[in-house]
Formats: sequence, structure tokens, C-alpha cells
Amino acid sequence: MVHALNEIRRVLVPNGLLIDIRPLMDRWQVEVTSMREVRQTGRVHDFPVGLADDEAANRAIAQAFENGWFSRDRQEFFSYSYSWDTPAEMEEWVDTEWEDFVALEEETKQATRSAWALGDADARVRLQVKMLIARWNVLKDR
Amino acid sequence: MTIQNDPERNESKHLHTFADFRNKRVLEVGCGEGRLTWQYARETQLTVGIDMDTDALRIAEVDRASDLEHKVLFTAAASEYLPFSKETFDIAVLAWSL
Repeated sequence: MVHALNEIRRVLVPNGLLIDIRPLMDRWQVEVTSMREVRQTGRVHDFPVGLADDEAANRAIAQAFENGWFSRDRQEFFSYSYSWDTPAEMEEWVDTEWEDFVALEEETKQATRSAWALGDADARVRLQVKMLIARWNVLKDR
Repeated sequence: MTIQNDPERNESKHLHTFADFRNKRVLEVGCGEGRLTWQYARETQLTVGIDMDTDALRIAEVDRASDLEHKVLFTAAASEYLPFSKETFDIAVLAWSL
């Protein structure tokens, strides 16, 4: 990762920008939503590999900073949501798209299914992914 | 499966708050199928998306609007060995890829 950051620095012009946008493992919130209400039904379970990936990415960017390649300009967190018609669709998606990184515990599955079944006619299932966005200025000797 | 991705468009809003893409040359690392690319590429002078997943790149190319053919390019490349000359881009976007 550090080598990749140096490569990116090489192809950026002086005063160029690096935008780092990525999800962070943070036991993402599971919700059942409708026009009338939002009910939180649990959180996903984070697997160690995802947490390790986050740490490795943070270490790489910190190393790039220490090397004097970039200076951090700005950073924020925001939510990126996925939404499905049914709990089964969410469960299938988590099992296929994020199987190495997160899992739904049985308690959360049951709570979500129940809230959805007893919810409003327009009830949907939502997963709130925590996102990081950071802007780095490239530093170059001219 | 009917999935909605980021219906509030938080990602696009934040991306545009953090960078002005107008008339810029942009490198997107880890562009995949171009989901993020299409949120800003039209504003740029040039966008190049790279990824190691050639199947995803094929989808990105299929999804590319015909009027963006000369402005938005996709190529298979690893971020550790970028096949570009130095100082080619104004902005680099690490798209869920660091």
C-alpha cells in the first residue's frame, strides 16, 4: 500500500489532490425503515480481517504522511446506506458481498425479520455503512 | 434483488465537497464497475479508472455513455505500478481501495 501511495504521488502534479474514500469496519447499524419510523434492530459483527485491513490502510497513509509525501487537508465521516425490500435480501447480500468482512448474528437477523414483518407496509431493511473521506495534498520538491 | 445504494447520495455529496473535478485530469484507483466514476467523470477533462478486475472493467466500459468515450478511459493496472508518466493527473481518487 505504501508503494502504491508513492506511485500515486509520482503521477500527481504538484499541488495535486489525493481523495481517500472507503468504508470502515464499525459494527454497521441494521435498521428497518418506513416513511413513519426508523427502528434499529442490531449491528453486524466485524471479522478480524476487515479490522486488519482498516489498520493496514491507516498505517500506510500514516507512513506516507511521515515520509513527507502528502499532508492531510481535511477528513470527515459519513453514512453510506444500502436498502432492500426484505430482510432475506439483506442477508443474502451480506453473505455474498461481505462474507469475509462482516456477518449478521442470529439475534440481529431475528430482530430485523420481526420488525419488518410487524412494520408498516412500506417497511424496508437498511444497513448503514460508516465511511471515511479524506483529502490529502501532494508534497513535492521542485 | 432490489437493492438501493446510497439513496441519499451522501457519497457523491461528500466527494464533490472534497474536490472540484471540473476540467481536471483524474485517476481513479480501484474503479471496479465505475459506480463512483459516473458520479463525477462528466465534469472532468479526463478520467482514467484502473482496476485489476477485468470483468468489472468490462462492465464499466459497457456502461460508459457514448459521449464519454474519449473522456473516460478504463484500463487494467495495479496501483503499485501505474502505467502513466509523472505528473499526469490533478486528482487521484482511492475508491474503496486503500
